[in-house]
Amino acid sequence: METIAVIFGGRSAEHDISIITALSSIIKPLELTKKYRIEPVYIDKNGRWYSDQRLKDIELYTSGNIIDLINKLTPVSLQFDSGLTIVKSSGLAGRKQHIKIDLVFPSMHGTYGEDGSLMGLLDMAGVPYVGCGQAASSLAMNKLTAKQLAEDNGIAVSRYVFTTKLTLEREPARVIKEIKEKLKYPLFIKPTHLGSSIGISRAINDQELVNGLEVAAHYDDQVLIEEEVKNLVEVTLPIIGNDQPIPALLEQPLTKPEDFFDFDAKYLNGGKKGKGSPKGAQGYSQIPANIDQELYKKAEETALKLYKIFGLSGISRVDMLIDQKSKTVYFNEINPLPGGLYAHNWSKAGISNVELVSKLISYAKERFNGRQDLTTSFTTNYLRQF
Amino acid sequence: MIKKILNSTKSIYSPEFPRTITYMLQTTEYRVGPYLKWFWKTQDFSKVRNRQELERTTVAKLILNTLKIGIAIEILGGLVLMFLTIGNIVPGGWGFGLAAIIAFPVIWSHIICFPVSLARLVIIDPKERQSIKKTKQIFNNHQGTKIAVAGSYGKTSMKELLKTVLSQGKNVAATPANKNVAASHLKFAESLSGNEDILIVEFGEGGPGDVARFSDTLNPDMAVITGISPAHLDRYKTIENAASDIFSLSNYVEHSKIFVNKESIEAVKYIKKNMKLYDRHGALGWQVNDLKISISGLKFKLTKGNKTINLSSSLLGRHQVGPLALVAALAQEMGLSDQQIENGIKEAKAYEHRMQPYILSDAWIIDDTYNGNLEGIKAGTSLLKELEAKHKIYVTPGLVDQGRETNKIHEQVGKYIADANPDKVVLMKNSVTDYIVKGLKSAGYKGEIDIETDPLLYYNNLPSMIASGDIVMMQNDWTDNYI
Repeated sequence: METIAVIFGGRSAEHDISIITALSSIIKPLELTKKYRIEPVYIDKNGRWYSDQRLKDIELYTSGNIIDLINKLTPVSLQFDSGLTIVKSSGLAGRKQHIKIDLVFPSMHGTYGEDGSLMGLLDMAGVPYVGCGQAASSLAMNKLTAKQLAEDNGIAVSRYVFTTKLTLEREPARVIKEIKEKLKYPLFIKPTHLGSSIGISRAINDQELVNGLEVAAHYDDQVLIEEEVKNLVEVTLPIIGNDQPIPALLEQPLTKPEDFFDFDAKYLNGGKKGKGSPKGAQGYSQIPANIDQELYKKAEETALKLYKIFGLSGISRVDMLIDQKSKTVYFNEINPLPGGLYAHNWSKAGISNVELVSKLISYAKERFNGRQDLTTSFTTNYLRQF
Repeated sequence: MIKKILNSTKSIYSPEFPRTITYMLQTTEYRVGPYLKWFWKTQDFSKVRNRQELERTTVAKLILNTLKIGIAIEILGGLVLMFLTIGNIVPGGWGFGLAAIIAFPVIWSHIICFPVSLARLVIIDPKERQSIKKTKQIFNNHQGTKIAVAGSYGKTSMKELLKTVLSQGKNVAATPANKNVAASHLKFAESLSGNEDILIVEFGEGGPGDVARFSDTLNPDMAVITGISPAHLDRYKTIENAASDIFSLSNYVEHSKIFVNKESIEAVKYIKKNMKLYDRHGALGWQVNDLKISISGLKFKLTKGNKTINLSSSLLGRHQVGPLALVAALAQEMGLSDQQIENGIKEAKAYEHRMQPYILSDAWIIDDTYNGNLEGIKAGTSLLKELEAKHKIYVTPGLVDQGRETNKIHEQVGKYIADANPDKVVLMKNSVTDYIVKGLKSAGYKGEIDIETDPLLYYNNLPSMIASGDIVMMQNDWTDNYI
């Protein structure tokens, strides 16, 4: 039986979402396949790694007992000799338990996880893992570079300006002036590296703009300011696969522009902001999106094109903004590891959560095996010259 | 193995043991035979109260307290005997005392059968006789048309269908849910206003003579026999005994007023002259045409001479066409208009857990978990075969109360499932699983067979395993007393 390490938690504002994704959308369906042994690997908010079967219990986190448990556990260490091995203290006369990992299923959202950091580590270890590679993750998670790359490839993007935390601190008035010169209200202010809509604000006047910039700079060292798309329909498309990507169904968040699709709308208020419906993250949207066929097709094609441009693999979600009047599809952002894997959408598209994780594992193996065939050494006479 | 023995031992010496014994008696309706059978089959008593809890009725409380007091006295007596051995007052008392303490679970789980049997003889049975007498009196004085519904399967669905359709033009009363024994008949009779045009009474058949007794009580004007199949064979012993009890209706109802489901092969053997038959092709001279079947239900035309009624129903499966045709035809004879019949048929919904479709995780679930007979399995698997789906999953624990024929019947269950050719068959592990697997394999089934040991866990995890386009057919569900 293969051992799969599911890595979750981490030093990110999306720590808690990562736990839910891991426990409900990854570990549970993986166990239901009865094909794998699951090794849960939890990274706490201070960046310490723990591995213990008890970490699979959701009650541990909802009750807050996780703190007591990790205080009792010894953090694990990792070995990179021919793959990845988790080294745990067994508690018996200082003996160590070595757990060889066959595949890693990252369940990390935001910084140090979804942004390519973890993927770089796993590439170094030479272990197959689910999802996008280091470079693609890094590109996609930076909202600014992602926008620039999409724009360079002829895909429409909304008008934008960017700044850094340092610039904002040094010359706030100049930044505000530049924004006002180049863009028109309403504006969206976003931290460039975070997902799950954390730290995003909408501003319709100077005061809200100042506040929004402060919030975004609290989470990130780079801030993106975008002009709002008119006649807006916001859509998102989850995609899986490697070189032959498969789209799920185009999904339309059921929020008004002023009630934009923020963290609370997605995860806390049961979907539609402020409505308190009990459906959680699955109740906030319309699947498939209620737009005409032509626009649906255009958005789907745009998302699939972006998937290839960014070199995404395994799983991702492409967010787009549609101006219904001009029928323009704008690229908004890419999420290399969608919260909950967007299992609710895949279920409507005919792929169960169990089937989804099974497919993702096969894509991970396919990608890993493909990379094994690549030549990674090149003989030169360079060293002899010294 | 050692772990199993340890768990088993732990479970009989658990403080919860008296409650478990009381629950077992309650679940078997205080019948000593089925209770003892269950008791001796059980290895781990901690798993007995798996699905439900003890209902704290007066009888249950009385039994539970008797057990607790009895066990306490026995343990105390054992300890006293052991203590007296120390002073040599009772030589050898140590052994007897220890034996008494060790044996209390076995002793009290059997001693309790005596007061329970006595209570049945002295209190329950006479009370039942009295209620039958009272019920008979109320029914005899009622002027409405009385319709009996009997059979090994499909009774509740037929009763509900008759009630829904006939209510469109008549004042109809029917026994509620699947309440079909003497006590519930009395409750129903007492609830009548006396102004009803039609009374529909479902006859349960738990053992020999039940249907005859109910017929004598109701004295029906007409009867529907929904079919015969192996059911309740633990008490009937043979299907012939069950069939002759159900067909004893013919001693009380004019033969031309008895409507028999022709699709039931077993029922056809007992049909008498002048009895009326119905099936998927029609009923009482009405012909079924242009039948369309889907997950949303049935659509067909009912034609007699120049007259045509267009019917659509949310009921699922080809086997529902016969009952629908019969009810529509009876409604016609009873004077309902075509519009009333069409409305009634459209309004009829699947009864809870009987071919009841609903959506879970974007997939279609067909909940037929109250189905407990071979004919129902045949109907369910035929429906699954007929429906279009991305993945077809079939879930069952098998059937209960199949008597001596159980192995053969479950091989047949396996063959029916194989004929539907689902992508996956999920079997809840129990004493009949191997026979279903045998039937599946002998019929050449090549799909996936998944054997689950914890039904509740499986049902809880089901949403993660299905998606849009999938159909899951769930047939039958075993209660705790079947293992």
